Amino acid sequence: MLFKLKLMRSGWGGVTDSRHGVVAITFCAFFMQVFVEASSWWSLAMNPLLIPEAYIIGGQPLCSQLAGLSKGQKKLCQLYQDHMHFIGEGAKTGIRECQYQFRNRRWNCSTVDNTSVFGRVMQIGSRETAFTYAISAAGVVNAVSRACREGELSSCGCSRAARPKDLPRDWLWGGCGDNLNYGYRFSKEFVDAREREKTLTKGSMESARLLMNLHNNEAGRRIASDLAHVSCKCHGVSGSCSLKTCWLQLADFRKVGDALKEKYDSAAAMRLNSRGKLVQVHSKFNSPTSNDLVYIDPSPDYCVENKTTGSLGTQDRLCNKTSEGMDGCALMCCGRGYDQYKAQLVERCHCKFHWCCYVKCKRCSRIVDQFVCK
Amino acid sequence: MYAPDENLMFSNRANQRNGLTGREPLVFLPGPFANEPPNGKAHLKQCEQMTLTRRQKRLCRREPGLAETLRESVRLSLLECRYQFRNERWNCSMDGRGSLLKRGFKETAFLLAVSSAALSHALAKACSSGRMERCTCDDSPGLQHREAWQWGVCGDNLKYSTKFLKKFLGQKRVSKDLRAQIDAHNINVGVRAVKSGLKTTCKCHGVSGSCAVRTCWKQLSPFQDTGHLLKYRYDTAVRVHSVTNSATGETELASPRRHSSTGPRLRPTELVFLEESPSFCRPSRYSPGTAGRPCSKDTSCSSLCCGRGYNTALRLTTLSCHCQVRWCCHVECQTCLREEEVYTCKKH
Repeated sequence: MLFKLKLMRSGWGGVTDSRHGVVAITFCAFFMQVFVEASSWWSLAMNPLLIPEAYIIGGQPLCSQLAGLSKGQKKLCQLYQDHMHFIGEGAKTGIRECQYQFRNRRWNCSTVDNTSVFGRVMQIGSRETAFTYAISAAGVVNAVSRACREGELSSCGCSRAARPKDLPRDWLWGGCGDNLNYGYRFSKEFVDAREREKTLTKGSMESARLLMNLHNNEAGRRIASDLAHVSCKCHGVSGSCSLKTCWLQLADFRKVGDALKEKYDSAAAMRLNSRGKLVQVHSKFNSPTSNDLVYIDPSPDYCVENKTTGSLGTQDRLCNKTSEGMDGCALMCCGRGYDQYKAQLVERCHCKFHWCCYVKCKRCSRIVDQFVCK
Repeated sequence: MYAPDENLMFSNRANQRNGLTGREPLVFLPGPFANEPPNGKAHLKQCEQMTLTRRQKRLCRREPGLAETLRESVRLSLLECRYQFRNERWNCSMDGRGSLLKRGFKETAFLLAVSSAALSHALAKACSSGRMERCTCDDSPGLQHREAWQWGVCGDNLKYSTKFLKKFLGQKRVSKDLRAQIDAHNINVGVRAVKSGLKTTCKCHGVSGSCAVRTCWKQLSPFQDTGHLLKYRYDTAVRVHSVTNSATGETELASPRRHSSTGPRLRPTELVFLEESPSFCRPSRYSPGTAGRPCSKDTSCSSLCCGRGYNTALRLTTLSCHCQVRWCCHVECQTCLREEEVYTCKKH
């Protein structure tokens, strides 16, 4: 059963715009899937855009041709063309970190194509979707803040954050810190643009999904900001620490990934209440703060391949025979069993340093056992 | 709490291993001295209420203290099993126990071993506590023990316990059935674990406390140590299959070829199992799954919850704090309220 929803525009420019959204109810009716636009701004990560100047070739920016951007995002693209490259970098960092954190689980954050990036899995409001939204928003914060510090962007410079109160008095506050404030605000404007331009009926599944996306994006940005720390450099007499300059520095993105993975483990299941707000399904558990991740649907079965849910299945995934966790062959292969292969592993070994100044390594190959799910 | 049917575990294989299906109602047996005339006949009723074979019932009737000891051993094995597996996905729950006992998993091996260990431990302690009529303190030869007897110290009588266990479980002939062989082997592992915990304890009472005069006796280690040892055996259990010994023509258990130097024969201290256990993550007929299990965020949640994540709840606990000694001689404490976070595994 398909029916169309007419949506009003909000926010941008003076041009009246109406969009048609399509809500599809699956025949099995286990859960309501909201048809999120198949393409997403994550596609910026997939097409390697090498030089930022590519956007203003011939005076006609490529913004309108970039797939996956919503109307508001396209307008932002035209206004801030030099930022686009870094948004792509940020999305790429986020996706890479996601794939690292999920490498041992059934769904391993794999990308399927260049437009929708993760496929139909993102249409289900599961915990994995929450994590992906959060980490990509955090990636954009990272990338834009760094770019500001490096001087690549014209509209921002070094951080002008106030000196923290707990810094010892004889340390200097200066240097060029990552412009966290600007990165946070820009990420908020850009990533949330698609969600904020829609106005939906209260109580519909789409509005639940919207609120969830906004919450998770905010959680990702906040985690990236909270983990930023003060970093110092000693430059006193012969390198001593009598003179120290400190500045604000973003955390290593691996730490952000670890923190978000913990939030993923403790994510809260939410539902829409009668007033149109998201509330917890089980009220006896702790309410999620703005740093926590929320989700509205249970995760689909990632064991078997399913075109409706977008799951790729775990067939042909490598598993670890000795492990008891999710990457162990019992859990990864979902009881289907595994095949054992012998594979040849080629790696560098016997590396030697030659004067001057290169390292030469030999290649060794060894046979290892590999276990692949059936 | 006592499940009378747990003793069916010990019944003869031919008698259908159908105990402990978890469907039998838990019967709260009255205490030995409650509402009963103290004429020593109370144990007969208890023997009848337990599910035992005929021979076992006969042994039970002859020995008045046995019913109580059996109950004690069941309670001991249950508590110890739950304690050792408190952080594992299978936490020794009663649900699914019946189906588990029908298969040849590592968990079945552990259950058999811990039950037999508990029974021999309880029997030995009952003997030395004077609760059994037909056995008393340890009377193994050696001057030390006879001296101990004179001084009033009573060693745990493991010899009687082992002999009685053999009679009780009826392990006379090892049948050719692979499962029966494995079960007999695992029961032996349990008994051996208790035996290995037998330690000689001495007390010095010579001139001004010197060790010129010593009294020694044998004492069983606390059952928690035996439980810990059996858990270690569970972790290092060996998978076996049946081979026919070409020399004697009998089937015997053999493990697949191992590169370690322990030799091809099985050690009598190793637990054996037939098939790989399922992961006890989801509810199945072997376990209720790990949904709702309490876990600790830093250590066990990731493995217990099988990747499903956990829910956080706040719980108010009361505990005693600001304790002070008042003269004389009691301790007065205040109660403090403390909020702590409780993590339970998600269902899906």
